[in-house]
Amino acid sequence: MENAAKRLGVAADSLEASGGVIRQADNPSTKMSWKDACASLGPSPITKRGVNVPGESAKAGLISQGVGGAQIAEVSVDVETGVVTLNEMVAVQDCGLIINLKTAESQVYGALIMGITYALYEEAVYDARTGRMLNADMEFYRLAGIKDVGRLQVHMMTGKGYDDRGVIGLGEPPVISPGGAIANAVANAVGVRVPNLPLTPDRVLAALSQKGGMA
Amino acid sequence: MKSFEYAAPRSLKEAVALLSDTWGRTEVLAGGTDLVTSLKQGITQPNRVVSLRNLRELKGIRPKRGGISIGATTTLADFVSDGEIKKNFPSLLTAAQDIGSPQILHTGTVGGDLCQRPRCWYFRNGYGLLGREGDTSLVREGDNRYHAIFGNEGPALFVNPSSLAPALIALGAEFTLTGPGGKTRTLPAGEFFRTPKSETERETALKPNEILTEIFLPNKGLKNATYEVRHRHGLDWPYVSASVAFTMKAGTVSDARVVLGHVAPVPWAAARAGGALNNAELNDTLAAKCGDAAAEGARPLGGNAYKDQMVKVAVKRAVLAAAAA
Repeated sequence: MENAAKRLGVAADSLEASGGVIRQADNPSTKMSWKDACASLGPSPITKRGVNVPGESAKAGLISQGVGGAQIAEVSVDVETGVVTLNEMVAVQDCGLIINLKTAESQVYGALIMGITYALYEEAVYDARTGRMLNADMEFYRLAGIKDVGRLQVHMMTGKGYDDRGVIGLGEPPVISPGGAIANAVANAVGVRVPNLPLTPDRVLAALSQKGGMA
Repeated sequence: MKSFEYAAPRSLKEAVALLSDTWGRTEVLAGGTDLVTSLKQGITQPNRVVSLRNLRELKGIRPKRGGISIGATTTLADFVSDGEIKKNFPSLLTAAQDIGSPQILHTGTVGGDLCQRPRCWYFRNGYGLLGREGDTSLVREGDNRYHAIFGNEGPALFVNPSSLAPALIALGAEFTLTGPGGKTRTLPAGEFFRTPKSETERETALKPNEILTEIFLPNKGLKNATYEVRHRHGLDWPYVSASVAFTMKAGTVSDARVVLGHVAPVPWAAARAGGALNNAELNDTLAAKCGDAAAEGARPLGGNAYKDQMVKVAVKRAVLAAAAA
């Protein structure tokens, strides 16, 4: 505002921002576009620092805690070989006010891929005798590749009841659910629980044989 | 990595002459997808690496009486795009395509696939080909989920890693090896692979100063197919693979051969499974019976009993795929 005020030759406290322009509140014809005002800043960013007093910002409605989300997985299980194929995953995620939708969605896609990886593949194998990690490589420390992740869909919750909760966080929440969602889908498909992650073919076969045969 | 001398000779005779008659002193380089890894892992520390890149005569697929001749340094990508392979050998096509990574297909070679060292994680972590520490077999005592269920009576418990070998053996291929002075010898594919009894032995019939130069693949009009059980859908090593080849006349099978991959220190010829198919009418029941016969006599190590079931399924599915082709 100070910058725009200087350019318009008026006092900063007489200005308001509205409808894409910065103008004088009582004389709207004295104005400049938001874009021009931003361009006039040049390469120097605007920085504002503040202090988050615990409890205070929540009271003021600036932030809130706790996020909600739901995930659904659809899988195919080859009951003769125990191989699980992930067909599709849907994630619905809340994280309060979303500042940048694309990067928020991208964070959830990443979480799904990471989740599929730990649910189906990822495992550090150590030799009990030597203590040596046996699969410290990309061959047998398996990560999900493009052919393993299936179709992924992400829906971020926005609007009333979400935006007004303020900025929360999105790092871990969506990576918690895939294990449960995928394991539930496998149990639903074969009629028996595979009790340990990752859901490797040998574990799926063992669970099936304990159940007494194929689904 | 230890420094080594690099040689890229212009003739096969010269290449063979550059090889030592003692294992480990020299190594042969084709695509390098295995050798370079092995050098980095320190499981081989040669004084000299002999590259086959300038030996044009080792590259390419040509017609030869009764079949085709495949040069050992033909890339896997050229192999899978060859018209003859595509038309008559779906078994090999599946095996090669399932390697899965375009980078490896374009760099790796047919000969390299056959000569690569085992992927046993004890071997790759520096415990030797047999994976031992003193008198203890780390494989037997440790995590052997990817190890042998057949041919594991001796100290070698790794599995042969080749994708193409089971299919080539089932199809009756022959390998030509070239040694000092350009002298050649030819072996049935199945006799190329050996189970070492000590650390100083290797997994193939190659002598240290021999090079695998040619694979002859006869075209006998056999029905053939390969089925691999793999964990991931992209690049991954199979848990188990099965290659089958047989003659089928009026729905009845003869000359059946079933060869398994990733279950033994060598590609494993499941003779009983082949026998189960012969002189019988091919249907789902027979295919399942053949699978069961293939798994007979398996001796799991403790962590790999699940492979029995995978053998049954892989064989059954390969048989049905071959019949449908």
